[in-house]
Amino acid sequence: MKILVGVKRVLDYNVKARVKADKSGIELANVKMAMNPFDEIAVEEALRIKEAGNAEEVIAVSIGPAKSEETIRTALAMGADRGILIQTDELLEPLAVAKLLKHIVEKEQPGLVVLGKQAIDDDCNQTGQMLSALTGMPQATFASKVELDGDSIKVTREVDSGLESIRVKSPAVITADLRLNEPRYAKLPNIMKAKKKPLEVIEVADTGVDVSSGLSVVEVNEPEQRQAGVIVGSVAELVDKLRNEAKVI
Amino acid sequence: MSTLILAEHEAGELRPATLSVVAAAAAIGNDIAMLVAGSNCAGVGEKAAALPGVSKVLVADDAAYEHELAENLSALVVSVAGDYTHILFAATAAGKNVMPRVAALLDVSGISDITEVKSADTFIRPIYAGNAMATVKSDDAKKIITVRTTAFDAVSDTGGSAAVESVASAGANDGVEFVGAELSSSDRPELTSAGIVVSGGRGMQNGENFAMLDEIALKLNAAVGASRAAVDAGFVPNEYQVGQTGKVVAPDLYIAVGISGAIQHLAGMKDSKVIVAINKDEEAPIFQVADYGLVADLFDAVPELSKALDA
Amino acid sequence: MSYQAPVRDISFVLNHVVGLADIAKLDGYEDATPEMVEAILDASAQFTGEVLAPLNWVGDQQGSQWSEAGVTTPDGWQEAYQQFIENGWGSLAFSVEYGGQGLPMCVAASVQEMWHSANMSFGLCPLLSQGAVDAIEHHASDELKAMFLPKMVEGVWSGTMNLTEPQAGSDLAAVRTSAEPEGDHFRIKGQKIFITYGDHDLTENIIHLVLARLPDAPEGVKGISLFIVPKFLINEDGSLGERNDVRCVSLEHKMGIHASPTCVMAYGDDAGALGYLVGKPHHGLIYMFTMMNQARHAVGVEGYGIAERAYQQALSFAKDRKQGKTLLGKSDDDHGIVNHPDVRRILMTMRCNIEAMRGLALECAAAFDIAGKHPDENVRVFNQRRGELLTPLVKGWSTEIGLELCSLGVQVHGGMGFIEETGAAQHLRDARIAPIYEGTTAIQANDLIGRKTARDNGQGMQELLTDMRATLTELQQSNNPDMQAVAKRFESAVGAADQSLQWMLGQNDPTLPSASSVEYLMMLGRLSGGWMSARTALVALKMKNEDGADHDYLDARVALARYYADRFLPLVDASNITITEGSESTVSLSVAQL
Repeated sequence: MKILVGVKRVLDYNVKARVKADKSGIELANVKMAMNPFDEIAVEEALRIKEAGNAEEVIAVSIGPAKSEETIRTALAMGADRGILIQTDELLEPLAVAKLLKHIVEKEQPGLVVLGKQAIDDDCNQTGQMLSALTGMPQATFASKVELDGDSIKVTREVDSGLESIRVKSPAVITADLRLNEPRYAKLPNIMKAKKKPLEVIEVADTGVDVSSGLSVVEVNEPEQRQAGVIVGSVAELVDKLRNEAKVI
Repeated sequence: MSTLILAEHEAGELRPATLSVVAAAAAIGNDIAMLVAGSNCAGVGEKAAALPGVSKVLVADDAAYEHELAENLSALVVSVAGDYTHILFAATAAGKNVMPRVAALLDVSGISDITEVKSADTFIRPIYAGNAMATVKSDDAKKIITVRTTAFDAVSDTGGSAAVESVASAGANDGVEFVGAELSSSDRPELTSAGIVVSGGRGMQNGENFAMLDEIALKLNAAVGASRAAVDAGFVPNEYQVGQTGKVVAPDLYIAVGISGAIQHLAGMKDSKVIVAINKDEEAPIFQVADYGLVADLFDAVPELSKALDA
Repeated sequence: MSYQAPVRDISFVLNHVVGLADIAKLDGYEDATPEMVEAILDASAQFTGEVLAPLNWVGDQQGSQWSEAGVTTPDGWQEAYQQFIENGWGSLAFSVEYGGQGLPMCVAASVQEMWHSANMSFGLCPLLSQGAVDAIEHHASDELKAMFLPKMVEGVWSGTMNLTEPQAGSDLAAVRTSAEPEGDHFRIKGQKIFITYGDHDLTENIIHLVLARLPDAPEGVKGISLFIVPKFLINEDGSLGERNDVRCVSLEHKMGIHASPTCVMAYGDDAGALGYLVGKPHHGLIYMFTMMNQARHAVGVEGYGIAERAYQQALSFAKDRKQGKTLLGKSDDDHGIVNHPDVRRILMTMRCNIEAMRGLALECAAAFDIAGKHPDENVRVFNQRRGELLTPLVKGWSTEIGLELCSLGVQVHGGMGFIEETGAAQHLRDARIAPIYEGTTAIQANDLIGRKTARDNGQGMQELLTDMRATLTELQQSNNPDMQAVAKRFESAVGAADQSLQWMLGQNDPTLPSASSVEYLMMLGRLSGGWMSARTALVALKMKNEDGADHDYLDARVALARYYADRFLPLVDASNITITEGSESTVSLSVAQL
């Protein structure tokens, strides 16, 4: 079986996002970019499945600008076998990304698609579910444990009340949550070998997929600044503020 | 223009999250219909009908909906989507699981986690983990949305009198099967990943007194931490230490009890979203970083707080 | 106390100042393309930031511990070392033939900087192994290479360098450890001190390189031979055999680098430790010197690596800490001490010197890379001479300045800096050893005025000054006012250095040059740092014309060069006065008068 993993190039999680002066988005020029951390977990899971003998090939797919090739190389350095870049300089909505992934799924026929549950840039948390809906493959989102048994896959999911487990049939879409695994570091010899692994580049236009979107970003603003602290007069007032003003309890 | 909300419910009751989604729907300003899907959920349908502003309740009663499987729920929502201009879900694990499917099946964009309704087609949602707020506008015929429930005040659960009608099940997908729910582990959340942290300092006076903090932590599903001074004094083990040389935490809520706020401690918790300080010394530096400060003897305040949390 | 490797600053120097792309064109370095190196630096940054840096404080607090059974490293170190070698970091610069990655020294040095910033005590283990591997690779027989190198390159075995004895520190002529021939091997007896990672629990075997005397050895440095003494003997099939007669008898209690075990090693308490001769008899010291250039360069990298860590910590504190009304703050409530002009002075001093030191170390490494692989012999010879000339500057100047910067880092913290828990103090304590080991600053200065200045009658120095004057011309031709200001200071400094050089070459009695040798070293270090800083700024100005240029970053390089020129190049002129006019007064008091 083949495993397809999605890897997105995003602002490095150590870098604080800064809103552009013209409010058109986040400043991404000349800042450090890296693989979406949830996607690293997805790559790791795919590699573990392969290393356990349950898959033959791990294919890393990225959709984005030419620079996303670096993100694919990172996945290859971790151990993925080959890469596919669907190149576009446009910022695509999850629906368009899901349609492009479907295009690759139809071509590659993977037994499993593993994606991060969300990207830390737009925080949408949609692509995996959309891909599942579009392809008819079942979905197992927010996975914290994946157990394969032939073409039946038991997935433990992180839900609001704790954990639940479901069983899906391969081919399926899994999205990785934070506690699924701890991704490995790329080994130096593998970083060097990654350069020689195959990486196919496809233009979005050549896929024939309609990537237009009904959603547009009007503007992006800084969040409201933290308000100056207040001294409360009583425990009751404190609890009231925490419940109704800060809404943290 | 009309809005459909997928209700979330559990043990015969609507989840509070759904009441917040109704508030968001009210802000959009359309007629509101609510879809209740579940197994033996007629009672929930009645409760939904009592929500203010809800004019119609659709009940789909089928074992296929018992475990909120996204495949089944999304098929159902699409089957009743009809003329609704807005379909809203709570931004819960369940809502996030279903919403994107519905959007994809209807071939429109999904709009995740809105925190504000600017108009019927324009919404504000956080991006980059809340470090920026995006205003997004949808030109799609249907707006498919999840709502961040903490951003909207829940509506009351009485006062409405909607008509209830039942709708046909859209069937079950055989590619997926619910296996079981695992009880939330009773263990305390881990310090560095806990949503709430309650920390004690030298003001706690001894290790036994940390039991007071344990009690609060249990009620808030919080982790317990400590300042270096408390660890050095032997009140609690090393792994409790929050600070420069201990653990760095950034929970949604950090409650510092009897902690003066040495720089090394602040370095370990200053990125917390909301900081509460309880200290009897009003000059304690911890108050400079606290969002809410309470100048009080912790031995009075903490038991009182524990009681207030039960209310 | 987190650490994030300055990948961008490092890449900038590699790509735009020292010419990594040209090095990648050399036969054998094809893999070192800018994209590949970027990926390597990113991966190293992640590893050092997430695995090594968090162990720095626990290492300091726990230290390595001695017991009869052997030395144990602090909690978490074994796991970290295991990850370190599994990820292949130890084998970066070693030859492909023995399992290394064969990357250029300038890339290896860039990665090593991150080790030392993240955790200097940890970084010393692979640093020492590297020295040992180099010595074996260059001088041992094929048989010995086959026996030791693959495991050492892999990092499964570590290496040590055993030179110092109680009576033989900087003066190795006094080495007394003996080696008696016995069949195809030797029996080593004697005591070695200050042996870094002489014993530890990170690897299954430790390969000691030991200087000792054969029975027929002539007196002095020409009678010293080099031996390989493994902790565990190696069986025919390559497996580990019995324990050799070598052990660590105690650990030193040190001011810093507590986790790096500094061992007293006893060889041959019983039958004598079994050792193998490396190369020819009596050539030990020459062999040691080939790896000493490498090791000295590495310690220089350590010098600014630890300063980088101190800088990151000081900067973060200065942004957080609010004290008093600031003069540079934008609003009334913006009281972060980073907005006090004097705190800016300290942070600028740290930043511009770190970048200057990094520039010089990578320039030196690049020279060795070219010297090793360039097809044209003239180019090879020129670059070898350049690398050797710059090595004592990299070691001596960078470690002295690194130490000063760590002290400034403490100063930024005010009283909190003096408190151990803040963590700034550890960097200062750790940094203190760098100007001492691998040859003190005085030893480096001696090397500089002797082998690197007097021996070639100033040829290498003149070549360097010629290159600097070419940069000066570029600065003068720039219409940027900052570059013109830098040109003025640089011109004066280059002239001053030339005067000191002429003075050095004109002395017949070595006493006065020796009295001013460290001044001369620091002068040339500062000047070379200014040279790198100016070159960086010139490149940055050119890059500003490119599409999508990051003006913020490029302007900062210009501003740093300007500050360096205003603040530190005048010290070159001052050093010239001290050297040419003050050497006699340095030694003018009698011992009784001191």
